[in-house]
Amino acid sequence: MVFYTSLIWEYMKNYIKTKLTYRADFWVEVLSDLLFQATNLIFILVIFQHTDSLGGWSEAEVVFVYGYFMIPYGIFMSFINLWGFSERYIVKGEMDRVLTRPAHSLFQVILENIDPPSIIGSFVGAVILGICWVQLDIPFGIVELLVLIVMVIGSVMIYTGVYTALTAISFFSDAPTGILPLMFNIQGYGRYPITIYNRLIQVVLTWIAPFAFVGVYPASYFLDQEITKSFALLTPVMGIVFLTGGILFWNYGVRKYRGAGS
Amino acid sequence: MLAIDVKDLRKEFNVQKNREGVKGAMLDLFRREYTKVRAVKDISFQIPKGEICGYIGENGAGKSTTIKMLTGILVPTSGDIRVNGFVPYQEREKFVRGIGVVFGQRSQLWWDIGVIESFQLLRKVYRVPEAEFKKRLDELVERLQLQDLLNRPVRKLSLGQRMRCELVASLLHNPSIVFLDEPTIGLDIVVKTEIREFLKQMNQRYETTILLTTHDLQDIEALCSRVIMLDDGRIIYDGGLDELKAKWGKGREVHFQFAAPFQLEQLQFLTAGLEVAWSIENEYTAKVWIPLEVNVSDVLSRVVGTTEITDIKIIETNTDDIVREIYKSGSAEESKLHLLGEEKVSNV
Amino acid sequence: MFSAYLDFIRIRFLMMLAYRVNYYSGILIYTLNIGVYYFTWQAIYGSQQTLGGFTADQMTTYVAVSWMARAFYFNNLDREIANDIRDGSVAIQFIRPYNYVFVKMMQGLGEGLFRLLLFMGPGMIIACILFPVKLPTDPAAWTAFLFMLLMSFLINSQINIFTGLLSFFVENNEGMMRMKRVLVDLFSGVIVPISLFPGWLSGIMKFLPFQAITFLPSSVFTGRIQGTGIWQVLGIQLLWFTILILPIFLMWRSARHRLFVQGG
Repeated sequence: MVFYTSLIWEYMKNYIKTKLTYRADFWVEVLSDLLFQATNLIFILVIFQHTDSLGGWSEAEVVFVYGYFMIPYGIFMSFINLWGFSERYIVKGEMDRVLTRPAHSLFQVILENIDPPSIIGSFVGAVILGICWVQLDIPFGIVELLVLIVMVIGSVMIYTGVYTALTAISFFSDAPTGILPLMFNIQGYGRYPITIYNRLIQVVLTWIAPFAFVGVYPASYFLDQEITKSFALLTPVMGIVFLTGGILFWNYGVRKYRGAGS
Repeated sequence: MLAIDVKDLRKEFNVQKNREGVKGAMLDLFRREYTKVRAVKDISFQIPKGEICGYIGENGAGKSTTIKMLTGILVPTSGDIRVNGFVPYQEREKFVRGIGVVFGQRSQLWWDIGVIESFQLLRKVYRVPEAEFKKRLDELVERLQLQDLLNRPVRKLSLGQRMRCELVASLLHNPSIVFLDEPTIGLDIVVKTEIREFLKQMNQRYETTILLTTHDLQDIEALCSRVIMLDDGRIIYDGGLDELKAKWGKGREVHFQFAAPFQLEQLQFLTAGLEVAWSIENEYTAKVWIPLEVNVSDVLSRVVGTTEITDIKIIETNTDDIVREIYKSGSAEESKLHLLGEEKVSNV
Repeated sequence: MFSAYLDFIRIRFLMMLAYRVNYYSGILIYTLNIGVYYFTWQAIYGSQQTLGGFTADQMTTYVAVSWMARAFYFNNLDREIANDIRDGSVAIQFIRPYNYVFVKMMQGLGEGLFRLLLFMGPGMIIACILFPVKLPTDPAAWTAFLFMLLMSFLINSQINIFTGLLSFFVENNEGMMRMKRVLVDLFSGVIVPISLFPGWLSGIMKFLPFQAITFLPSSVFTGRIQGTGIWQVLGIQLLWFTILILPIFLMWRSARHRLFVQGG
């Protein structure tokens, strides 16, 4: 554990040194990241120009969920950035190099691709969350803070698990782009009141691609929406389950890769 | 003690068959067809500690696949491997701490930052203590003259400089076995020589076992006491370089340049009784091919005294020719059988 | 020469076919996308009859058609071009006996055709079964729509090519490309029909090419725009197509100049 922690720091240092050589890009990247995020916020804002409630949720509540979502998402994006995995590691063969190093392969791949600026999204999300928190007049104390932290950790774990598993598909499939970009569209849907969807989509967003646990479920713990509240507490549990599953699937993929080769 | 012990090693791949045309591609979308390709066919060899062994063969002969199995990247289909006392594909993380790997065509260094940063990171990854790391780095840096390069970003290095840094990167943790996959590819002759010298010295000082694949046979001649030659997934030669030359080097060639025009019959008459073959290029120059059984000096003495000669060149068949010859015939069943038969005889 | 360009379409089509995980998951995810937006809009409509000139039923059809249209016109030409420029392989393209921009366009078309036939087709059928999507029965509407779809593809590809070619002039184009993607998705009307935007914003949209990609053609197809309005939409698409040729031409010319005269 100490070993892996010291590695994180070491890789982080290298990242910073790399980035300092391309300073101008830094802000362009941050800005475009935020703009990417803003699409959904704009959608919410436009919608509420025409209606007062979305499935019984007010604008402030929906934006609250949105703000919550941005926090784990920002953390996830800065630490787990597996976009180019298939291209860089499978097609160009860098996986071979990773496998000749004495540390877990997933860990190495993750660390080689960290992208700390994305964390700024988390801060923006926290600000949005804070504004809505005040607007909705939700009490705030040490308990709420602790719960929030646990929820965020759970959400990050779910994200990491799902994307690790999806990335590991590259070990089996020959698709150079992978299906990550397609998945990217779905992830936003966990940010809307889940009760507006029909049963099937609810099941998908809860148990299969559990993005509702990265948005509406944990956030509803603080809101006055009784239907999903019980699910809120499941967030850390789902986090553990999906992260474990994701890592196991990754390991299975690596085994397969080493068996089949390229 | 054995550094590498391989027995009946086999590797099979499933290769996807692509059907032709739009219709074929549509069919592939729903049902794939695979063919099994055997890349490595039950090979066995042993490399004792401290040996430098060359692993050669044409592209696609199975070299890289073997290296990948030996370094724990690939899991073999069947057979036993022991490297450094480990089964590479089990306990991968523990095993790789004792080996160093250089893939000549791929970098293991960070592209945008100073070389030294990559070294620092590798120190952490391989858990090398600070003091030991410093000592080792100093030694390597001095030996390979990298002092001025350490703070330069990798993308600003020339290929030769980069390759020297790659070597250092793979040796920082003082591995007892080093795998080099085409370490001299694309380098100029000066850097090649430098790297060969360095590897030799390291092998002598630390008793590092080195297995290297290469297409440059001068690497082999400069470094290796032993060669394993692979063709179509099988070992077709395993032994010393000298024996290889002796067994396959068929003879020598002597080029003559004469002062006056001559006839082919004259020359053949001079060497009558000797098993040599003459050929002429023009009326002033001729070549004679002399098999190993015949002494070159015998031929020379007969020719030199009788004709006025302006120039003589003696050409030994070099390893390149030998290997090219073997490669060329390697796929032909007959010569392989011949070769294996010969080896069996020598084993008896 | 022309047959060479056709071959680029064919090869890209075959390339797309080779990746079947992408294919299966693509259909699934596009259907899910339509489903999610369908239910979201249902919830938004609630008891209201019309929003921004769309009835709830029209909105359902609008969502399905827009996503399916997106499947056809969407491509990563900007990224491909930027990669070619960054790794220098664009220089090889210059010495080949064809026009690089046309080739890219053709490759995009091959990809689009693949998605049209194998994504849009099955996806549309699934969407029609699952959701109350009402497609027009008038063959004239279909003809008009297919033509407009082609125009959507051309305009979107032009924007992509334009963004990609920017890599010749700026060092890191990544941010620009991402922003373009957001702008196209947002302002073309896939996510929210432009008529729902606040007045000032939809006013600005009238002067930008994005609405010609999704909003206008989908409006025609859902029957919100009828009669002479259809000709107007076609006119707007053709106009933008023509206008966008100019900046691409100029950029391409100055890129060549840069590459040949200044040596990259």
